[in-house]
Amino acid sequence: MSANIDHLKEEHHQPSGLMRWITTTNHKDIGSLYLWFSLLMFFVGGLMALVIRAELFQPGLQLVVPGFFNQMTTMHALVMIFGALMPAFVGLANWQLPMMIGAPDMALPRLNNWSFWILPFAFTMLISTLFFESGGPAAGWTLYPPLSLQGGNSMPFVIFSIHLLGASSILGAINVIATILNMRAPGMTLMKMPIFVWTWLITAFLLIAAMPVLAGAITMLLTDRFFGTSFFTAAGGGDPVLFQHIFWFFGHPEVYILILPAFGIISTIIPAFSRKKLFGYDSMVYATASIALLSFIVWAHHMFTVGMPLAGEIFFMFTTMLIAVPTGVKVFNWVATMWKGSMTFETPMLFALAFIILFTIGGFSGLMLAITPADFQYHDTYFVVAHFHYVLVPGAIFAVIAAVYYWLPKWTGKMYNETLGKIHFWMTTIFVNITFFPMHFVGLAGMPRRIPDYAVQFTDFNMIASVGAFGFGLSQLLFVYILFSTLRQPVTVADKAWDGAEGLEWTLPSPAPYHSFDTPPKID
Amino acid sequence: MTGIKSTILKLSFVVVAMYGFSYALVPIYDTFCEITGLNGKTNQVAYTGNDIKKDNRFVTVKFISNVANSAPLYFEPTVTEMTVQIGKPYNTHYVMKNNSSKKLHTTASPSVTPGKYAEYLKKIECFCFNQQTIDAGEVKDLGIQFVIDNELPQDSGDIVLSYTMFDISDNIKETNKL
Amino acid sequence: MKRLSIFIVSMLASLTSMADWEVNMPRGVSPTANAAYDLHMLIFYITVVIGIVVFGVMFYSIFHHRKSKGAKPASFHESTTVEIIWTVIPFIILVGIAIPSTKTLIMMEDTRDSEITLKVTGYQWMWKYDYVEDDVSFFSKLASDSNQARQLGSKIDVNKVDNYLLNVDNEVVLPTNTKVRILLTASDVIHAWWVPEITGKKDAIPGYVNELWVDIKKPGVYRGQCTELCGKDHGFMPIVVRAVPKQEYTKWVSLNQKNRVADKSK
Repeated sequence: MSANIDHLKEEHHQPSGLMRWITTTNHKDIGSLYLWFSLLMFFVGGLMALVIRAELFQPGLQLVVPGFFNQMTTMHALVMIFGALMPAFVGLANWQLPMMIGAPDMALPRLNNWSFWILPFAFTMLISTLFFESGGPAAGWTLYPPLSLQGGNSMPFVIFSIHLLGASSILGAINVIATILNMRAPGMTLMKMPIFVWTWLITAFLLIAAMPVLAGAITMLLTDRFFGTSFFTAAGGGDPVLFQHIFWFFGHPEVYILILPAFGIISTIIPAFSRKKLFGYDSMVYATASIALLSFIVWAHHMFTVGMPLAGEIFFMFTTMLIAVPTGVKVFNWVATMWKGSMTFETPMLFALAFIILFTIGGFSGLMLAITPADFQYHDTYFVVAHFHYVLVPGAIFAVIAAVYYWLPKWTGKMYNETLGKIHFWMTTIFVNITFFPMHFVGLAGMPRRIPDYAVQFTDFNMIASVGAFGFGLSQLLFVYILFSTLRQPVTVADKAWDGAEGLEWTLPSPAPYHSFDTPPKID
Repeated sequence: MTGIKSTILKLSFVVVAMYGFSYALVPIYDTFCEITGLNGKTNQVAYTGNDIKKDNRFVTVKFISNVANSAPLYFEPTVTEMTVQIGKPYNTHYVMKNNSSKKLHTTASPSVTPGKYAEYLKKIECFCFNQQTIDAGEVKDLGIQFVIDNELPQDSGDIVLSYTMFDISDNIKETNKL
Repeated sequence: MKRLSIFIVSMLASLTSMADWEVNMPRGVSPTANAAYDLHMLIFYITVVIGIVVFGVMFYSIFHHRKSKGAKPASFHESTTVEIIWTVIPFIILVGIAIPSTKTLIMMEDTRDSEITLKVTGYQWMWKYDYVEDDVSFFSKLASDSNQARQLGSKIDVNKVDNYLLNVDNEVVLPTNTKVRILLTASDVIHAWWVPEITGKKDAIPGYVNELWVDIKKPGVYRGQCTELCGKDHGFMPIVVRAVPKQEYTKWVSLNQKNRVADKSK
């Protein structure tokens, strides 16, 4: 029987070269496409960050005019969020989910291909707006009207590309849910799924619920600008604050979309390198689900200064504080996993441990921001910038990097150089703190966000942050070197690359075969 | 494969529903604000009730004005402060002058602060209910008649009524073109 | 190598000439600023304590529960009791934080019984101030020496400019020990008015009016900036408030009442 199948496979013409990558419907190929794209976008967004930090190295304007600076801050965020982080997590989902549940591929392989290829097209369009005469978007990634309605010719292109990015995410999320709910190997009940699968399942539901709301909000911006509606202008009976409500109704779940898969990765790596099962698996699932549900009722904490009624301010303060509880539960469960384990500290584990500490610091500044009367002093300052960079950089991005180090041996059958990995880790961690920790200070001392120039008392910490940013950027070049030099190694890795690793993917050879689990495995 | 198809159908429905929800947020927001007066919006249709009993309470109402987008208009209240008796109707007016050499179409947007008292400031007549046209150099008196509802909480402080005047001539031109 | 070291030394030396290494929020000179600061410090200390405990446990574990030390992994992996404990205790801590926070918020949002009303209007890229009762009105924009110095490639040493980027042509003058109600609106896009030492910020939204109150207890000059992205010169529309004793304020009002500027196009 299997001989017939092999014969069929040989006759099945696999395109090679460029056509392979354009037409592939294989989850492993598509996972790789997403991950390489994400890495490229990470450097593009990183370059924009360096323009920002270079200008902010000293007070006075040395490099760019303020209008261009605003384009850099806007695009940096759009590229990092939609071009680097989200595709990275989708890439990891593509590679890992089918293997982890014992499925041969994603539920909708061709849709999977389209979901990816939308991205390069959309980003080319988005980034090309920087070269328009009227420049690219400069109203912040949050696109608040009326300012965003003053935008030049780039506006419809920006909105169209964001629509495309949203569509790609939605299609990907549908694919993830359909796969997880329908294609698990027999015997794998929901509460037996690997935790990374759970976090992606919940993230996919968040995507389905939140991204269409963004689509609505930006369509309203478009019609306000070009088709005579007045959703957001008082003259026509509208309200600029309405946009903020609609945007953040999407925006808050969005930040949980950016972190829940990261939580799943950490929940996978800590047990593997502690040689001990994840503590409180059930709790972790419920905590993740609670965070996802709560994320829909906290949105206005991004808007405490708009002049909300007192009752609203109090409500959102309480719900935002509440979300600290399940998040804290997760941190405690990770520590309990480490406790009385037998730990080794290979590169994935180093990044995961740094995640727990530094993400928690980001969580602390988040708790401070949740307190409305205090937020009146923090809002729109560098304190907020420090907070979200802590949760996104040594938070989400460290989780992605950890995941790549962890699963690279499975994907390629080759082991990266552990010494170089550790150097990459230490440089990255040291520089990330040099870059973002001082931002807490200047924010508290009164430096607003989104300004290209500042009063002289903020000089010292800005200088330090800028030095840190360049150091951080250079450190990532080492990461690229590590990746490429690993790919040049011979295949040496066993099925189980890490002796504490658990999960179906580790029952497959390394590299994992192009088609895996064509017949589902048995789950006990 | 029917399991997958059914999942996809249900999820696609959710996607479309959430897109529609974002548009539904527009009237939901308006209704929420109308019921509670929360974003300082006052009644947009003339208040015609006559069942507010006069109270022996007085409250200070302050009047301010704004011109949006630096339009070429002079727009100021004639009276900046009135101490009014609850339940009794009062009149006051703003003055607007067109400082440009073109006829302008304008509309005014009211806002009350604190927002929670907006629902108690009932406008019987208001220039903000309609758009105005004003010729070059013309001066207009824009009147309002209002009454404070006796449901106004006992411990309220001053109420500020603000109008922002918008020049919407460009929008009118475009609509006329259509 | 020599040039590099000279460069580094002179860069480091120049650091000493630059002002503060300020790391914290100012306590401020008004009840609302004081209250925000006190809450901020309370929560900060709580998070420090939690951090010490959690990271302490982590570091202990990292040192002692390692394979290289011969540690053998335990097999426990769940405990409902423990999950309940570390859900309830944080919840209680949060309730403890919520109570003073709510009280402070209610206090901050109470603008009643103000003696003076100041209407602040945000423009791209300057502020307009209208003293409603006292009939004073003026625009306030970035001081011209700062404005010159900040131009790209100006070659002016900004450290030599007086209060670079925090100086204006016309200051807001307010009396001390007086509750002032500040009304906020904008002419074009959303701005936000913020002078950290005197109170928290609020957005200035076109077509709508927001309000906050201040009661400045100490005379002095207090500086702030626009804190909502409003276009290219968002970083260049500062605020300066000069708080003076009541009689000085009254004198200033009578001097400035004649210069009333009506709301017409610039």
